[in-house]
Amino acid sequence: MKRYFTIFKISLQQEFVYRLNFIMWRVRNVIQIFLIFFLWDSIFSAPNRVLFGYDRAKILTYVLGILVIKAIVFSSRTVDVSGEISSGALTNYLLKPVNYFYYWLTRDLSSKLLNLGFAVIEFGILFIILKPSFFLQTDFLVLLAFFISLAIAIFLFFLILFITSFIPFWAPELAWGAQFIVIVIISEFLSGALFLLDILPKAFHEALYLTPFPYLLFFPLEIYLGKIAGLRIVRGIIISLLWSLVLWILMKSIWFRGLKVYRAEGR
Amino acid sequence: MIVVERLVKNFEVTEKKSGLVGVIHSFVFPKKKIVKALKGISFTISQGELVGFIGPNGAGKTTTLKILSGILFPTSGFVQVTEYTPWNRKPDFLKKISLVMGQKNQLWWDLPASETFELNRAIYEIPKKVYKESLEELVTLLDVRKLLTIPVRRLSLGQRMRLELIASLLHQPEIVFMDEPTIGLDLVAQQVIRDFVVDYNRRHKATILLTSHNMDDLVNLTKRVIVINEGGIIFDGNLQELVKSFAKEKIIRVYISKKIDYKNLQKVGEVKEIKIPQITLSVPREGAALAASELLQNFPVEDLTIEEEPIETIIRKVFKGVR
Repeated sequence: MKRYFTIFKISLQQEFVYRLNFIMWRVRNVIQIFLIFFLWDSIFSAPNRVLFGYDRAKILTYVLGILVIKAIVFSSRTVDVSGEISSGALTNYLLKPVNYFYYWLTRDLSSKLLNLGFAVIEFGILFIILKPSFFLQTDFLVLLAFFISLAIAIFLFFLILFITSFIPFWAPELAWGAQFIVIVIISEFLSGALFLLDILPKAFHEALYLTPFPYLLFFPLEIYLGKIAGLRIVRGIIISLLWSLVLWILMKSIWFRGLKVYRAEGR
Repeated sequence: MIVVERLVKNFEVTEKKSGLVGVIHSFVFPKKKIVKALKGISFTISQGELVGFIGPNGAGKTTTLKILSGILFPTSGFVQVTEYTPWNRKPDFLKKISLVMGQKNQLWWDLPASETFELNRAIYEIPKKVYKESLEELVTLLDVRKLLTIPVRRLSLGQRMRLELIASLLHQPEIVFMDEPTIGLDLVAQQVIRDFVVDYNRRHKATILLTSHNMDDLVNLTKRVIVINEGGIIFDGNLQELVKSFAKEKIIRVYISKKIDYKNLQKVGEVKEIKIPQITLSVPREGAALAASELLQNFPVEDLTIEEEPIETIIRKVFKGVR
């Protein structure tokens, strides 16, 4: 356990190395928050307008909530894994008594903690300046379910990213392309990062809930907003847990197959 | 300590043709080819030995090291390193070995090397006291105290290589595999690394297996060498024996006192170099004594020496696969 704490620390240090880059990244985030806020604030400028069951407070909470959850779930160091496999840098880890998944999960968590810390500060600024009407969930059980679903989302995304990252074992030149398709297109599109999944036709929406994708963003946020309750929450958590298990087993089996064909190239 | 029996490793590669048409052709009809990197090699190495592993590029040296350190799975064969099968990568096994590669780096690029050391301490679960002693020893031997706090990306290759060595040896491995540890380094840095390897081998009774293209590495470091060529072992034994079995000629150096007709020298042996008053001849091993007496009788010789071929020449022959 101690070794993962050290990995956590050194990973955090690494994030701060390029100061200017770090500052630019945060500035970009703040601008994004304000833009999205003004966009939706003007769309819902007419009082009492309700779209897809969202009023002004809820839609603002939704779009800003997506930003926060995305910062937590999608921010990841694990994107480097495919590059390490195709360049042969993976060798360094294989030589050490360290679990490669836990290593990257730890690095991910440190990156997420950093992101979360700054997101809190940036949203604090937004609240102080704009005083938006924001939907605050107060039900303890709902909040508990929200945090559980968020933890599952983090793990699910980690697994999806890791499995995608294994492609270079067989096709070293595919490192970036595969990631782009899976992460940017599929995950963002189907998780609710780009639009409300409620907009989709009912049957499609229901079918989507049998895949792991809505559980990355949309599902936790729905819980927070109180759009779903009771059995639907339980059902969602069970489905997403099952997916975690399936993907975990899948990842392990692909990993061992990958190691058999791994060439430790790069020299 | 290390046992290797009938080790075979095949790689499957897709052939890529050149030119646009060729590229498209191989894209549509990929042609797979099996490359036999190791064709059933066997050897054993006992504890504390320092063995040189030599051969031309692509002979299978690095592949062997990678299998011994557990990174690659073999196609077939038996390998045991201490009591472990390498590719199971048991944590206890990994704590006992290290692989140093001249062209791979584990140091965190943006951070000072001391951070990587600290990380390795945690990963290898090195007790604080052992870590301190170990680090102190390595830092002193390699003379890098001032470099510890500088971000790695600002260091020169030679400086970095020394720190890489420390990172690889902090956990005091019993077995060290080194792949071209002096590659790309200047002469001074090479000597630092070489002295260090000998010293480390003595101090820790560590078993060291190293590959190198650098002849000085082999001459100065190893007693035993394993020569590998095209996936098979063609020699395994003492460096002196290697010299004997590959050295088919002796070098005779004569110092002459008067001008002579150099053409007559050709009858005695092959003239390698004429640098008046010194002339260098190369003669078959068995005929060396005869050639020497012939020279003394028929030419105005002031002085004469018979020498072995330089070891560099012999190893060069080994690399070329000439027997």
